[in-house]
Amino acid sequence: MTTQTADRVMAGGAEATATEPIDVNDPSLSRFDLVREGMRRDGVEIVYYEPRFPVPGTKEEKRIVRFIAFCFLMTGVASLAFLAAFIWWPWEYEPGANINKWYTPVLGITMGVALLGIGVGLTVWAKKLLPDEVVVQERHDGPSPDDERKITGATLLHIGEETGLARRPLLKGALTLGLAPVGLMAAAPLVGGLIQRPGDLLVTTGWGPGVRLVHEDGTPVRPEDVSVGGQITVFPGVPGGTRGATAGDSATLLIHLRPEDAEETRRNALPINRGAQWGNFVAYSKICTHAGCPASLYEQQSNRLLCPCHQSQFLITDNARPVFGPAARRLPQLPIEVDEEGFFVAKSDYLTPVGPSFWERE
Amino acid sequence: MTVVPPDRPRGRFVRWLGVTARTRRRLGKAARLVAALALVGGIYTAFAPGIEAQETGDLSAAAQAGRELYENSCVTCHGENAQGVPDRGPSLIGVGAAAVEFQVTSGRMPMARQEAQAERKPPMFTDEEARQIAAYIQELGGGPVIPEGDLAAGGDLAEGGQLFRLNCAQCHQYAGSGGALSSGAYAPDLYEATQRQIYGAMLSGPQNMPVFSDSQLSPQDKADIIAYIQFMQNEQDPGGWGIGRLGPSTEALVIFLVGMVSLVFATLWIAGKS
Amino acid sequence: MSTRRRFNPRQLPANAAGAIDDRFQVASPLRNVLNKVFPDHWSFLLGEIALFSFIVLLLTGTFLTLFFDPSMEEVTYNGSYTPLQGVEMSRAYASSLDISFDVRGGLIMRQMHHWAALLFMASLIVHMFRVFFTGAFRKPRELNWVIGITLFALGLFEGLFGYSLPDDGLSGTGMRVTFALIQSIPIIGSWLAISLAGGEFPGTLLIPRLYIAHVLLIPGLILALIAVHVGLVFKQKHTQWPGPGRTEHNVVGYRMFPNYVSKQISFFMIVFAVTALLGGLFQINPIWLFGPYNPAVVSAASQPDWYAMFLDGLVRIFPAWETRFLGYTISPLFWAGIVGMGLIITLAAIYPFLEARFTKDKAHHNLLERPRDNPNRTALGAMAITFYMVLLLSGVNDVIAERFNISLNAMTWAGRIGLLLLPPLAYYITHRICLGLQQHDREVLVHGVETGIIRRLPDGRFEEVHQPLGPVDEHGHGQLEYAGWAVPKKMNRLGALGAAVKGFFVPIEGPTPDGKGAPQAEQVEAGQKREEVTTGR
Repeated sequence: MTTQTADRVMAGGAEATATEPIDVNDPSLSRFDLVREGMRRDGVEIVYYEPRFPVPGTKEEKRIVRFIAFCFLMTGVASLAFLAAFIWWPWEYEPGANINKWYTPVLGITMGVALLGIGVGLTVWAKKLLPDEVVVQERHDGPSPDDERKITGATLLHIGEETGLARRPLLKGALTLGLAPVGLMAAAPLVGGLIQRPGDLLVTTGWGPGVRLVHEDGTPVRPEDVSVGGQITVFPGVPGGTRGATAGDSATLLIHLRPEDAEETRRNALPINRGAQWGNFVAYSKICTHAGCPASLYEQQSNRLLCPCHQSQFLITDNARPVFGPAARRLPQLPIEVDEEGFFVAKSDYLTPVGPSFWERE
Repeated sequence: MTVVPPDRPRGRFVRWLGVTARTRRRLGKAARLVAALALVGGIYTAFAPGIEAQETGDLSAAAQAGRELYENSCVTCHGENAQGVPDRGPSLIGVGAAAVEFQVTSGRMPMARQEAQAERKPPMFTDEEARQIAAYIQELGGGPVIPEGDLAAGGDLAEGGQLFRLNCAQCHQYAGSGGALSSGAYAPDLYEATQRQIYGAMLSGPQNMPVFSDSQLSPQDKADIIAYIQFMQNEQDPGGWGIGRLGPSTEALVIFLVGMVSLVFATLWIAGKS
Repeated sequence: MSTRRRFNPRQLPANAAGAIDDRFQVASPLRNVLNKVFPDHWSFLLGEIALFSFIVLLLTGTFLTLFFDPSMEEVTYNGSYTPLQGVEMSRAYASSLDISFDVRGGLIMRQMHHWAALLFMASLIVHMFRVFFTGAFRKPRELNWVIGITLFALGLFEGLFGYSLPDDGLSGTGMRVTFALIQSIPIIGSWLAISLAGGEFPGTLLIPRLYIAHVLLIPGLILALIAVHVGLVFKQKHTQWPGPGRTEHNVVGYRMFPNYVSKQISFFMIVFAVTALLGGLFQINPIWLFGPYNPAVVSAASQPDWYAMFLDGLVRIFPAWETRFLGYTISPLFWAGIVGMGLIITLAAIYPFLEARFTKDKAHHNLLERPRDNPNRTALGAMAITFYMVLLLSGVNDVIAERFNISLNAMTWAGRIGLLLLPPLAYYITHRICLGLQQHDREVLVHGVETGIIRRLPDGRFEEVHQPLGPVDEHGHGQLEYAGWAVPKKMNRLGALGAAVKGFFVPIEGPTPDGKGAPQAEQVEAGQKREEVTTGR
């Protein structure tokens, strides 16, 4: 009944404003009249209201209802399909190409279709079955009325006066001096618990005089392990050197240069790097001086080391000078030699800090 | 009759990239030297005509066949007897059969044109022919050779994965999808590489790739790595479409082109007038 | 008491409602909410994508915490994924692998979580563009803009910490760069970095600390800020486009119930569905390929997720300017990563105040502006987007270089030059386009819509016939004022022709040669006064 009243009232999109208050207890009022009265009280005005299907039961309406029903039923079917796939589809990992690899896609499709069914069905419901309406609501933004502001302001000021802080300077001072340290006290456990002195953590590595260069599996490296034009990653032969605490900054690239490149490298060596080279072998820190990624893309023709993170490029034959990209410093060179047993050892730790720059680094 | 340009070291292929002034000077020097030697050699050849026949007599049958192919397709750049032609192609003395087989079977050689880096393309020769050329170069100058048989046999996947990430992933990417190197060079993706090509590349260090000789990565290590690469070649991604296995870059494309675009269409539909 | 009341189930809801109101007095506030009016425009739904994907994140994230163990203890993997069996790794990585391979349905949950995170950030950005270009951030909504920018920054860290948790090779590389960024801060950098990681990188404390930040601290903050953000939209009421009957002092749209809410629920379901489809069909972050993190190992094409890519791009193209003074060092990383990020985010956050200051605009704005009507703002926005896009593309410059056979060094230089050259160019072009569009609007209002009909005048000249939009003065010029809303520019917009395409994807009615079934046909006939314009004779 009520909808019919609404239709009648709103027919033709005519302006239907209930500006006058009504007696809500009047038994002749329809439900829609009450709704409108509620809107009036909330500052909402309904200016256009029209059912999508003024004549119920048309072919078009039935078609839409059928479509929505189909969407929801599809959700049901897809949900059950999801459940079935979840339980019965073989899901354990098998290498290669096989039906198990379709487990995740099947779950995704069934779940997606199920949720899409609700979404599409409900949208069509809202768009095609719910009445078309244009409703206007007043905004009451902007500042509060002047008198309200004045009263509230006065109340606030009065509260301030009641505390008497302005009249009692001793309390003001005591409050500041006494309570500020509470904040510090609260921060202390956090800061105190976390803080660590960097010390020389950023400056030293696992290398030192006589420390052997070892492979990742811990076996020491001999000169014949690296072919001409080849490179390997070496670690300090100390406990925890290949994995663990010191591995983060100790990784080093050992390169076997071609004779003429080795000669050039030796010729170019800066004072700090003199004697660091052993024969045609050079060892540079693998940790990029820019952001700390392993700068390990060794190009054996151009003798460049490229860092894949930010594309800094270092020229091996010239003290690993940065020739391109954002890195500003050379890769530190590890001074190496071969001990009497024929294995590579470091002559000392790196002479400059490895890895990215930091404030205290000179 | 082996004339080796003094400044052309072994195992070095195309070096068109990053040609510094120093290199150009050296190449110039080499060119002059080769010209002088060629003159001397020419005079010598004129007086000693039987020398070629004498050399070919030592070649095996396969190498003989390879020699013919070489003379047809490779000689322009790599020169008579694989000694190299300045500014065209390096000497192949000492590169070994491994390098030849890698370059020829992957279609990189013969090059279509002089370019920064030889590209993978459909090979010009059959595997059989490639191995004949390889045999010829091998018998001419020696060098590393790819062993026969299943090169991934006994390969350990987990070990191979570890070795791959430590030695290969920095250039070829975790999933072997390839990566960029400096100044236009690149590390190719590994999805089409065969066992023998991977092995040959590791042994010979083509172009900018470092050499991984047997002392550096033992044949067992190489088998592990090949097993891992082949695993990735045959692996269907468990999480749906792998979008090139390129990491966050293609994921960014998908979230905008698929995710955002479809949802913006949804907003247009939901808020649109019916 | 003596007569047992008959239980009437139909009376139950009314009784319950009565009981609730007896205690909480909710009748009028509830009705107020039911009657609340929302304006309707597709672009107002973009922020909801973020809201809904955040809900998906909470749901899937909770699932993941049931299986994930953020421990750095070294274990030997013996799960199902063959190529990693027997490999030494942290428990965090092992449990992430277990979620992917040994928990039923774990992989799709992981992937949905990750896709929802990307979607969350993507929709934040797109929503921000909408708010920016329509001027929705102006007074009284500046605070909500600042909250939005804060949400983006928090989301960036939330995402960064989240994808670092599995302790795989790619994310470990990202953490290494993050550590270097912190380390580069002047004076306190090395202390801060060492303290946060509890020692030298990587250490064993970083991942557990990131975990608690990722699952508790940051989501808590995000949730609180989202609540405030949505609450403010509710309190201040949504902005609306100008249009018939729409003023600064009202909201024209439909009521919250049932229309708005059913559309919201359905949109939530669609967002959820898209996340599920992405999670099932597109593989994301395949940690099993990356291997356990090892500081000595790196991969080509290492980059962060897309929302951090612009920072990585800035770091990549920043020149190698390391400053040293008095024996101290400031790394280029600091300028690019810390100062750059700080500046970009701060500038974005204070933009509403800057604009108000420069335009001396202190008024309340509830009506949106069309982008063309504020050419300076629109051009600035285009400039910012161009700047951002250059950085974003520079963040993947190695992949672009590799895939499109471009030199890597050339890509870096293109980024450097493009960053300086393209934004001003974008500003200029956008500004001109805005002015051109404005001018065309005015022209149509004055002269009418182009009809496409060419008429030959008696003196031999040709001119196009224009259809005025309203009454004209003695010169034939229209009297309508520009109303800040779309000006009809095609005849079908005036009802002179049938709409070219009606319906969303397909025409509802086909072409109607006989005029049958086309409701507009009648109107065309009816327009007798257009006789003059339709006949060129």
